[in-house]
Amino acid sequence: MLTGERRATARAAAASPVGRPGGEAVLVPGDADLLKMLHFMKLTRALEYRIERKLYRQGKIVGGVYVGRGQEAISVGAAMHIRRGSGEEHDDIVSPSHRDMAVFLMQGVPPERILAQYMGRKTGLTRGRDGNMHMGDLRHRLIAFVSHLGDSIPVAAGCALTLRMRGTDQVSFCFFGEGATSRGDWHEGLNFAAVMRLPVVFICNNNQYAYSTHVSRQMRVERVSDRASGYGIPGETADGNDVLAVYDAVGRAVARARRGEGPALLEFVTFRMTGHSAHDDAGYVPKTLFEEWERKDPIRLFEDELKSRRLVDALALKEMESGIESELDEAVAWAERQPYPEPEECLTGVYHE
Amino acid sequence: MSTVLKKNRKPPAGKDRRSPPPEPIRNPGLSRTQLLEIHRHLRMNRMVEDKLSALYRQGKIHGGLYSSLGQEGISVGSAYALAPEDLLGPMIRNIGSLLVRGVTPLTLFLQFLARRDAPTGGKDGTLHFDDLDKSLIGPISVLGTLIPVMTGAALAARMRGESRVALTYIGDGGTSTGDFHEGLNLAAVLGLPLILVVENNGYAYSTPTNRQFAVDSLAERGPAYGIASESVDGTDVLAVYEATRRAADRGRRGDGPTLLECRAFRRRGHAEHDDMWYVPKELLKAWEARDPLDRFEAFIVDQGHATEKDLRAVREAIGADLDEAARVALDSPYPQPEETLRNVYFEPE
Repeated sequence: MLTGERRATARAAAASPVGRPGGEAVLVPGDADLLKMLHFMKLTRALEYRIERKLYRQGKIVGGVYVGRGQEAISVGAAMHIRRGSGEEHDDIVSPSHRDMAVFLMQGVPPERILAQYMGRKTGLTRGRDGNMHMGDLRHRLIAFVSHLGDSIPVAAGCALTLRMRGTDQVSFCFFGEGATSRGDWHEGLNFAAVMRLPVVFICNNNQYAYSTHVSRQMRVERVSDRASGYGIPGETADGNDVLAVYDAVGRAVARARRGEGPALLEFVTFRMTGHSAHDDAGYVPKTLFEEWERKDPIRLFEDELKSRRLVDALALKEMESGIESELDEAVAWAERQPYPEPEECLTGVYHE
Repeated sequence: MSTVLKKNRKPPAGKDRRSPPPEPIRNPGLSRTQLLEIHRHLRMNRMVEDKLSALYRQGKIHGGLYSSLGQEGISVGSAYALAPEDLLGPMIRNIGSLLVRGVTPLTLFLQFLARRDAPTGGKDGTLHFDDLDKSLIGPISVLGTLIPVMTGAALAARMRGESRVALTYIGDGGTSTGDFHEGLNLAAVLGLPLILVVENNGYAYSTPTNRQFAVDSLAERGPAYGIASESVDGTDVLAVYEATRRAADRGRRGDGPTLLECRAFRRRGHAEHDDMWYVPKELLKAWEARDPLDRFEAFIVDQGHATEKDLRAVREAIGADLDEAARVALDSPYPQPEETLRNVYFEPE
């Protein structure tokens, strides 16, 4: 077995497609979409920064804080392919993981409601019942994240079964980390989806650490996508810090699923640029890894790409950032004005009413 | 609006579950004595189960009865390939493995008849017992759950610096359980000497394999865990023996676990109460034609290790032994009501 660090380096160096399920053509977003992607990556980063670095430290956050800093390209690139806003018989269904803030934003959940959620306010998605990412909203086709990692895989497969029974070309999106792939539920959900050829796209953010467990202690294969062959479904690995690579791979897998050709397992190699959560200093992660991955920051790489395409310049970026900052100023102020739930509401909305 | 896809409604493509035609049996270098010993185990396995089936029909068996008809070569071949101190975790269709380890037919009859002197003292009526003196770890009724247990046993053996390997079995259906995945993945990551024998017998109760997994062979799961895997003809006891030997050598060398698929067919219902109306008759006929015991007997006769007369003598001797064992077991007492709660939980000495 390779040692953790050596293996991580080899893995990162080799992060390129191992196959192209869903077609040879590379999917390229148009200029408007490119700017939209950059906007949501930056909005996600800024919103999580406020939550993790400001509000949490000010003691205003009620629960734990799990952010996806450094992984924004995966959520954004994937969520570009989610069909939304056209009614229940047309929209896709999404099961985000706890590091997919961008998915919530892109599905139309406004930042102020997410902030209210983290502050335990009445107008948060769980109406103050939960203080972090365990939130969903079926109006936005978001299945609430199940805290037990791996448990949302059979749920997403079940959603896909419903979609297939409807006979539509809707798709179920399922997000998780590499640690979840060792869970029994993950296996059961993936196998079921494979056997039933369900329209679900499995999106793994391989950020190399499951809490403090390095991926080399998580699996004996080189890539999460190597696991796909055991289920008879296509697997693909791509650079998770390259939003265009994510956009391309997810787009092809979604097209396959819409055509009724079944699930695919996509792995996006990235790095968790924080501790497991805001209370974890990640002392077990070699500093050099942070430095190495800092140089591959997905937002900076994408900005450089768009600059070279002359789609943005320093001024445009500055405007985008200040727009986001003032949006978030207002959102935080709004959330802080929101009331906490009343004690007598404790038990409402806990079970189906 | 939405595009309706007829394609979406199509069930998964069916798979040919007949398996390719068998390769001729080859002797991997076993002596005549060993071949005859293997034959005796196979025959004993078959006849013990026939006897149990008769007792079941007489209403004398209290629990379920799960036949291994057609799969005896897997139990016997794999168990025979191990050293006596290797950890062995049989499942409910592995009477043959128990016989190889020295569990007597009398013990089995006492257990199935739920008598006081049985390993579980009459508290269970099937194979849910262990015998740590024989390095036997008992089956867990919940399919798949024994795999992480055997992974743990392999880990313990390695931590103690022993050269023991751990072997357990799972059916094609059990490979879809979460425990299969967790147990095998952990063994893979830690490089443990685990041998997981997958008895692909075509059906998990009434679920055919094409509704169980979307790969052609379960050996394809090996690379998905980064471990060695093989698929062998489960009706060829010597092929199973040889593959298990290779897997055990691998484990002892520190090369990690092996996933060994043995292809056979469940020629009885899930249990004795199941008439398996859902199994196509032609499949049964095809697999009957490659019965592991018939094939092995033809092989040893053909190779001059035994004559038809010798084989008959073995049958008669085993028959007499089993009649006697069954008689003793039937004459044995049931447990007393006041013993009900004893040995249910651990009792310190």
